[in-house]
Amino acid sequence: MSPYFTLFRRAGTAALFAFLLAPLVAVIIVSVNAGATPKFPPEGFSLRWYGAALANPAFTGSALTSLVLAALATAIGTPLGVAAAFGIARGKMPSGLRGLLEATFLSPLIVPGIVIGVALLVTLSTAGLRDAWLRLTLGHVLLVVPYVIRTSLAALQSFDPSLEEAAHTLGASRAKILTRVTLPVLKPAIFAGAAFGFIISFDDAAVSIFLIDSSTSTLPLAIMSYMQYNFDPSIAAISSMLIAITLAGALFIERVFGLKKFLGN
Amino acid sequence: MALTDTAPPPQAQPAPRKPLSPAWLTLPGLCFLVFVLLLPVGWLMALSLKPSMPGAFTMEGDWTIANYLRFFSQPFYYSTLIKTLWVSALTTGITAVLGYALALIIWTASPAKRGWVVLIVLSPLLVSIVARTYGWMIMLGDRGILNQALLGLGLIEEPIQIMYTAGAVIIGLVHVFVPFMALCVLTSLEKIDPKVPEAAMTFGASRWAVLRRILLPLTVPGLASGLTIVFSLSISSYVTPALMGGPRSGMLTTFIYQQFAVTLDWRFGAVLVTLLLALTLLVLTSILALAARMTAKWSK
Repeated sequence: MSPYFTLFRRAGTAALFAFLLAPLVAVIIVSVNAGATPKFPPEGFSLRWYGAALANPAFTGSALTSLVLAALATAIGTPLGVAAAFGIARGKMPSGLRGLLEATFLSPLIVPGIVIGVALLVTLSTAGLRDAWLRLTLGHVLLVVPYVIRTSLAALQSFDPSLEEAAHTLGASRAKILTRVTLPVLKPAIFAGAAFGFIISFDDAAVSIFLIDSSTSTLPLAIMSYMQYNFDPSIAAISSMLIAITLAGALFIERVFGLKKFLGN
Repeated sequence: MALTDTAPPPQAQPAPRKPLSPAWLTLPGLCFLVFVLLLPVGWLMALSLKPSMPGAFTMEGDWTIANYLRFFSQPFYYSTLIKTLWVSALTTGITAVLGYALALIIWTASPAKRGWVVLIVLSPLLVSIVARTYGWMIMLGDRGILNQALLGLGLIEEPIQIMYTAGAVIIGLVHVFVPFMALCVLTSLEKIDPKVPEAAMTFGASRWAVLRRILLPLTVPGLASGLTIVFSLSISSYVTPALMGGPRSGMLTTFIYQQFAVTLDWRFGAVLVTLLLALTLLVLTSILALAARMTAKWSK
């Protein structure tokens, strides 16, 4: 290998990695900056912006909303998704219908988030339903379901049927086979899908932007509206906390299931 | 190969039956999807065929295509469609080049380094969209890190405006979509026997020839799914254009927000939603069809 090529390759790799990491590193450095503006290089080390972010009721209130909303959407969306995955993978139906059902259940991934939000806003307003929590929950369940279906379907398709047959031969009832054999085997996949759905819901801005009202906002939207009028490092502090939380969640999924399965086709 | 060896042994018992679950298990989810996604989107598309009237969101009025004529007759409106298309195309093109390079870096990395490289490549996805965008604002702002560095080095005399331009939107989009592209290409690369490019190099093929004649053709499926995913994500992205392109970013999605949240002309906004959906479907099907044609000769 010629030395010039190696040098060129190393420089290219370094530049690409810098591009990928730059905004994340910048956020973390600014978050511990003592000054009142995001200056670079920072004017000394301080954690005061973390205190400021945590003392801001707009952030803490909306963070609570986002957590409850994501938990609610995951709690409703996971059983819906798992049941549908069972039906699609094992139900008796023509294969054309199976493909159509699978495509329909994955369609929320294709429809732009902003379209989901607008469509829900218009229909629910027409129906006279204007409660922000109802709108947000419906929209976020829609975000969670495809991820649960994706992982559950993959796990069901690679499920070894002889496990269930063995349980059947040994005299287990259908309910017992489901709760003691099938579901425990699928648990990591279901869990990973639910965890991913939770993160997607927690991070969403495009669907929620039309569904919040003046008294109920989610964390990403609260940060976005704060950003329009302020540029102080408390946004960097809250962003760093979000980075830490998402990273922890992602590492958790990686341990349980493997991250790559979600991101490929 | 002796075929008799691989033939299944004669079965004494009936074939094990495939475990069945009732198909109606899909019904609760399906009902939810129909009432929360399909019907609302259909309703919105129908609404686009009613005369424009700010504030009105009911179905009254005659059916008309006036809203569509209005969109396509005024440059201010249809330019959002054009801008969405070229910004997305440019984003997809840059993402393809960078994502392909990253996939090659992962593919050729030693097993010890591979985990770290994958983590770095996936890092943009692991970070909240708002945090990521704020990071870019720090980097690219008028008094941001990049401008200060360029000023400090004496390369420029006054700060160049990057934020709130189409360039900033493209940078932000490429950054977050590059992991998808890299993973899609990697999936195809991993199916290639590393001995094939090695053999080609032994026979004197240049690196460029190996890339162009061996790796590129064999990664068409991965590249195609990457292009599809990135283009449709670009067209439908809202947060990045809204924050990095400024209020007048002039993309279809930010224009949709304006119509529904500011102007309150929902029926005209419905036209934009319909066009966005049509565009997404068109792009998805055409890229997939193209890839199918390019890989069709493999199965012969």
